[in-house]
Amino acid sequence: MKISRNISFGQYIPRDSLIHNLDPRVKILSCLVMIISLFLITQFWGYLILCSFTLGGIIISQIHPKFIFQGLRNILFIIIFTLIIHLFMTEGEVLYQVSFLKITKEGLINGLLISFRLFILILVTYLLTLTTSPISLTDGIERLLSFFRFMGIPAHEIAMMMTIALRFIPTLLEETEKIMKAQISRGADFDSGNIFERAKSLIPLLIPLFVNAFRRADELAIAMEARCYRGGEGRTNYRELKIRKTDILTFAFTIIITFVTSIMF
Amino acid sequence: MFIHLDEVYYTYNIDMPFETKALKNINLEIQKGEFIGLIGHTGCGKTTLIQHFNGLLTPTSGKVYVEGIDTSKKGIDLKSIRRKVGLVFQYPENQLFEETVYKEVAFGPKKFGLPEDKIENRVREALKMVDLDYNLYAERSPFSLSGGEMRRVALASILSIRPEMLVLDEPTANLDPQSRNKILSEIKAIHNNFGITIVLVSHNMEKIAEMVDRLLVMHKGEIIMDSSPRDIFANHANDLLQVGLGLPQVTQCMYELKERGKKVYTGVLTVDEAAKEILSRMKSPTVSRK
Repeated sequence: MKISRNISFGQYIPRDSLIHNLDPRVKILSCLVMIISLFLITQFWGYLILCSFTLGGIIISQIHPKFIFQGLRNILFIIIFTLIIHLFMTEGEVLYQVSFLKITKEGLINGLLISFRLFILILVTYLLTLTTSPISLTDGIERLLSFFRFMGIPAHEIAMMMTIALRFIPTLLEETEKIMKAQISRGADFDSGNIFERAKSLIPLLIPLFVNAFRRADELAIAMEARCYRGGEGRTNYRELKIRKTDILTFAFTIIITFVTSIMF
Repeated sequence: MFIHLDEVYYTYNIDMPFETKALKNINLEIQKGEFIGLIGHTGCGKTTLIQHFNGLLTPTSGKVYVEGIDTSKKGIDLKSIRRKVGLVFQYPENQLFEETVYKEVAFGPKKFGLPEDKIENRVREALKMVDLDYNLYAERSPFSLSGGEMRRVALASILSIRPEMLVLDEPTANLDPQSRNKILSEIKAIHNNFGITIVLVSHNMEKIAEMVDRLLVMHKGEIIMDSSPRDIFANHANDLLQVGLGLPQVTQCMYELKERGKKVYTGVLTVDEAAKEILSRMKSPTVSRK
């Protein structure tokens, strides 16, 4: 019954810091640049530099590292899994062997590199979602996507869909928890039995959830129509995004760091 | 003693930026057969409190005992506790999922392992308790019913478990006055006829004053009053108003009469009582009018 608490990672934490106040477009693009360079780098030193750069960002953001590493716990499994797969599945110079399982030097290096890469990848995206409210995040995406409008990409509509989806994640989680509790009170059992029984036991949860979600979508559509919403054309924003000096400096700094590390390593 | 809460504290999102202390030092005893009202402002912890009664939540610190069983102890049979304490959530119609009303009401007994041949009886009995005609409703889809009917089906689907205690979280929210009165009188009848212990969370002061024997008032995670509704409305009206709660209209009327210098007793809960009280204070009214 601790669903909503488990999925709280990456949730926006309001603070008043340099990173929080950056333009969302700068943050998204910086993230993107970081991620691209993560895949270009092939040596430990490069990762170390990017990792300390990200950690520096976390310190500046004034978010307690506890929240970041709390969320990372959920991903730890994937990282360890990748490491193990790489350790045993790569051909090369054998370091250690137990019957048919062998650890190779190449496997160890590759596994550590990939794990490190994953770790930084998650850290960076974390920093983005922890410091950017969903609204400004979608604002930023909308503005970034509008560059591609000439290709027929409906930037506003995509951003609107994202906003609505993001807005309803906590609502749906709350509702899931509530319905689960209601059905447990009626004798439903969600955690025992084999996989088929478990799947079947989800019916009392999923049907009400869907019924309510559709009803809510209906109501939302009517409410939007009642306020004369008619898509993106000619629509202005309440919060205008403005690029300031700090935005330019931060972005330039990120570009330089990633560019240099990508070339050097 | 049926339910016993001993220094219960409950905190949501411990160690998170959104940490909230929902319950603070709750000590409470509920005896079998009581009819208890629970009032308090939105967000004062009522819903959190009642979820402790059937082990859906276990306290952050402190103990909850249901018939002597500690709900936070590992390895206890929570299902048997949930069969004893039926919890009806707010807007219970949102939990309906079956194809027919019959299956909906039969879900609980089936899950608690009742044999098939006894289930039909349970369904009949439960539907009768909420005054729905078995022959008319059993085969209908619960989604085709009106709001009030859906809520009664949801209530029946808890009653069919035959709980010893029934906890209702605002069972009349969002209903029209007629459906509201109907559900409340059914709850009263269930209490009278079957001796089921009832905890009723409500915002409707009039009805709660009329119905319950004992009233709990919650404020910011604490129980600040625990007494008969008559005592609370008669003697603690100011405290109630201070925490943002109201009085039943008749009681308020009596308070205003008192304020204007009429010596009336303010602990009245119904219109009839108020009429009697006012008449008894007037000196032979028919004579003075002539």
